[in-house]
Amino acid sequence: MNEYRWANLSVGMREELTVTVDSAAIDTFAALTGDDNPLHVDPESARAAGFRDRLVHGLLTASYYSTLVGIHLPGRYALLQGLDVDFALPVYPGDTLTVSGTIAFLSEATRLVKIDAEIRNAEGARVSKAKIRAGIRER
Amino acid sequence: MTDILERLQPIFRDVLDDQNLIITRASNARNVEGWDSLAHINLIASIEQDLGVRFALGELQDLQNVGDMIDLIERKLQT
Repeated sequence: MNEYRWANLSVGMREELTVTVDSAAIDTFAALTGDDNPLHVDPESARAAGFRDRLVHGLLTASYYSTLVGIHLPGRYALLQGLDVDFALPVYPGDTLTVSGTIAFLSEATRLVKIDAEIRNAEGARVSKAKIRAGIRER
Repeated sequence: MTDILERLQPIFRDVLDDQNLIITRASNARNVEGWDSLAHINLIASIEQDLGVRFALGELQDLQNVGDMIDLIERKLQT
């Protein structure tokens, strides 16, 4: 876990993580949230709807933005305050995703960090993008 | 110089997620719905980013309304 303090941060700083989302993660997310829409839990239904396999929940993939902020940038002293996400492409079981974020703006007066983030699949296609706002705790 | 109030309007609408919001110099956290402490942080940061000004923490504590904020921004843009 990174432990960036306010003084360590600068515009342009970038961090990333890589994760593979498997079927078990989809099932766990469906159980946790109650979102067991057939698109997510039934491959046949997903194929009938035009997808090649069942779909990873968009918010499951977006939860890795939390990992980005809470573990990598800025890490330990982060307090996630807001997130605007747009989903662009489907994510399927077994996809390997690269989640990255770059500091776009720092507000000294409010100790707020704005991060431009995105998730790309193994082919390099962007599956989602996000504008993230996080505070930096003193302790 | 474009009127500061005119430049603040879309920032307030975006941060407070109200496209019908009309702010005036008298607007403040007590008479604008949704202007809570977290929204205030986002307002300040977005104003800094969009207008290219920087606030010091001490400058913000005495602001009573949007009018005070406009006056502070105008002073910063003139220096």
